[in-house]
Amino acid sequence: MNNLIQNEMMKLLAKKRLVIIGIIVGILVMMFTYAQYKQVKEQQEKLGTSDWRAALQQQIIDTQNRLSSNRMLDEWREQLEVSLKQQQYYLDHDINPSEPGAATFTRMFLENAIDLFIPLLIMIVASDLVSSENSQGTIKLLLTRPVERWKILMSKYVTLLLSVSLIVAMTALLSYLLSGLVFGYQGWGAPVITGFDLKGANVDVSQVRLVAQWKFLLMDLGLVWLVAVVVGTLSFMLSVLVRSTPAGMGIMLAALISGAILNNMVSSWESAKYFFMVNLKLTTYISGTAPPIEGMTLLSSVITLLVWWGLALIVSFAAFTKKDVY
Amino acid sequence: MKQVTLSVKGLKKKIGKREIIKGLDFELNEGEVFGFLGPNGAGKTTTIRMLVGLIKPSSGSIHICGYDVRKEFTKAMQHMGCIVENPELYPFLSGWDNLLHFARMLPKVDESRMNEVTELVGLEVRIHDKVKTYSLGMRQRLGIAQAMLNRPKLLILDEPTNGLDPAGIREMRQFIRKLAEDEGMSVLVSSHLLGEIQLLCDRVAIIKNGEIIKTDTVESLLSTQERIIWRVEPLKKGVEILSGYTDITVEQNFIITAYDEVETPEWNAALNQAGVKVHEMNRNLPGLEELFLQVTGSGGARIE
Amino acid sequence: MSKPKVLAATIVSAFIGLFCLFCLGWTIIDHYGKKTSEMGANETTPIKKNLPDDFTVVALGDSLTRGTGDETGKGYVGLVMEDLESEYHRKPLIHNLGINGQVSQELVQQVKQTEVKRQIQAADVILVTIGGNDLFQKGQTLIDYDREAASVSQKKYLKNLHEILKDLNHVNDTATIFLLGLYNPFIELDEDLDTNRIVRDWNNETAEVVAHYKNAIFVPTFDLFQLSVNEYLYSDKFHPNKEGYRLIADRVAPLIKWEDEER
Repeated sequence: MNNLIQNEMMKLLAKKRLVIIGIIVGILVMMFTYAQYKQVKEQQEKLGTSDWRAALQQQIIDTQNRLSSNRMLDEWREQLEVSLKQQQYYLDHDINPSEPGAATFTRMFLENAIDLFIPLLIMIVASDLVSSENSQGTIKLLLTRPVERWKILMSKYVTLLLSVSLIVAMTALLSYLLSGLVFGYQGWGAPVITGFDLKGANVDVSQVRLVAQWKFLLMDLGLVWLVAVVVGTLSFMLSVLVRSTPAGMGIMLAALISGAILNNMVSSWESAKYFFMVNLKLTTYISGTAPPIEGMTLLSSVITLLVWWGLALIVSFAAFTKKDVY
Repeated sequence: MKQVTLSVKGLKKKIGKREIIKGLDFELNEGEVFGFLGPNGAGKTTTIRMLVGLIKPSSGSIHICGYDVRKEFTKAMQHMGCIVENPELYPFLSGWDNLLHFARMLPKVDESRMNEVTELVGLEVRIHDKVKTYSLGMRQRLGIAQAMLNRPKLLILDEPTNGLDPAGIREMRQFIRKLAEDEGMSVLVSSHLLGEIQLLCDRVAIIKNGEIIKTDTVESLLSTQERIIWRVEPLKKGVEILSGYTDITVEQNFIITAYDEVETPEWNAALNQAGVKVHEMNRNLPGLEELFLQVTGSGGARIE
Repeated sequence: MSKPKVLAATIVSAFIGLFCLFCLGWTIIDHYGKKTSEMGANETTPIKKNLPDDFTVVALGDSLTRGTGDETGKGYVGLVMEDLESEYHRKPLIHNLGINGQVSQELVQQVKQTEVKRQIQAADVILVTIGGNDLFQKGQTLIDYDREAASVSQKKYLKNLHEILKDLNHVNDTATIFLLGLYNPFIELDEDLDTNRIVRDWNNETAEVVAHYKNAIFVPTFDLFQLSVNEYLYSDKFHPNKEGYRLIADRVAPLIKWEDEER
């Protein structure tokens, strides 16, 4: 088994996919860093002060003004009200929700990347693992060795898990290192509020507490990793089922994008919460933004994802060990 | 008694309701080169893929060196090396890494064996270059090298000379014969180049529509198809007389009959007695190609 | 591809993977662990840090402060700022806390917020527009005018205004407060109802309240719009348009004295 994993890792590294992913992440992080930098600068200019409280106060006022418009969907209003209450909470407790520094940038980057960007990166590797052997024809050599098929697939799956971990860590590390050049490398100890309990538009603050940012970052990292593993496993399944890599990628991409769209509109379609793509924004549960569908919790989302994960694995192994290779 | 390296019994494959392979039986002996012939769509590739475990047969059994491919897959595969269709290797890895990749999947194959097979196929100089820089011939040789890693008793080559130039084809042919004769390997070769099979193989199986039509040594297959081509005058009378002795076909101005060492002179004498002039009597040994076309019904016999 | 490199990548990835798995487990346990705060988040922290000492304007109130109706988005506050800047050749600090549709009751609450108080504390000038929504209630008042209800809401408004001004004074007794009076957007509509009288009365009562506070100034706008009101109104016939805001700004800006030298 170890030998097989070494084989898969060798192929993965030789294909330079991880390098490409690193470059993509690097470029994006630099873009976002610049955008963020510009935004902060502009805000300072507008307000005439670098005091974050004034900026946050202004955000609250802006939110209130948006809320005052009559023409607004109820669910958006609800979300705005929730974020308003949280902003007010931060302000009242004199805690900067976006303490400047690379640590905050990394946290925000991970939180925003969890439902689309990271899954896309994972897809680059995962959707190719099996189907590339198919399209290259090397599957015929692979499956005529004296090794059982499930072992070959297992080695590929382990490699997927390894590369998912590597990609998640690489994303976090790159965004920390690159944004630090601009924002400085501080912010590990900044307090972050967690534990908002949402009931519709009501924010229950009884469970609210502060955690140091580094702890929060690690929590984010764990959640991002789970999402990456689940999305990776699903792409992996498609890679087994669909012979061509682009087709597998296309299906997965459609699912992810539909998830992003559904997130904005499913609040009245309750059973949509069983879709994996609606459950990807796990970090919202600990940062306390409203989930797309009322009643969704961290645990329900994690369980939903794990069920999809398990099914994908079963389907992958069943299909791979049984199917005829033409 | 030579050891049987591959034995196929009652092999069938159904896809949906259509039976693609309708029951194949054949055996390969040690040191034998076995040719597998058939027109496109006859089931050659499907059969080979069943032999190497890529496709599961609907029924029937395949034993490699006594191990059932389905029940003792890993043991059976340890005694077999194969190239299915083109030798598709990883283009982004070097030749050596490709060998390493497949060596890691085999028990007890070390670096010295990898060096051995590299030498065997004559790739020492370029083995550390990326495979994408290789010519087709080199890829073919690397493919053979990886198939040889585990010192197989049975080598299955699907279209081994596909895409090679004439020199490459000859080299490959000599190489395969050497493997069979010197190392005692059984080699199963499928090819659409019939001339190749004729030169390369000891025995041939001809497959059509999922059935083996003939299995025999190349020599006896050819000799049963030996014919005499007569040019006689008058044609009509000649036809009358010869059809009294044997089956004939008339094509243009020629009469074609089977060749029979004993009887042919008698037919000739009979023609002479009846006053039929025999202008020509050609003994014709058909090429395998012709034979192939004949038995597979893809076309009639033609005079060259 | 060297073997050690592959092996190293494998081992590093494996450790990262295990670490992430650990983080995940910890997150879920922590999320449902119902621990109490380590940092004591539940009491309001007073803000110690002061805002910069520059000339600061805080604008409070409703859509007029926000600038609704001005397609450039400046509103009278933005225009006043521009005037100040061109006159003094320096940029004043501005905190515009205006919220569309805000009524006096909501402003009472807003000026009690910690951060708002801090900004008021730093202010040299406070501009307030309030009462328009209390009086007109988006035009409802005029459709079925009820004298009783109107006087009740006016009393409530005046009480709120007292409280707002008191709070502002309490936080910052040096800043000058400019409270803008109401204009009558319906001046040309009225047939049987004398909206002019209602607005005038409202303004008079407001001015009476403002008079109680020595650093508060009532700035009338009624007269600005009295003639040709439609020229100065936005398409909603309620908010001023760009020109309307210009009129208001022209009245307010000259009243503001930037006495930076003595600070």
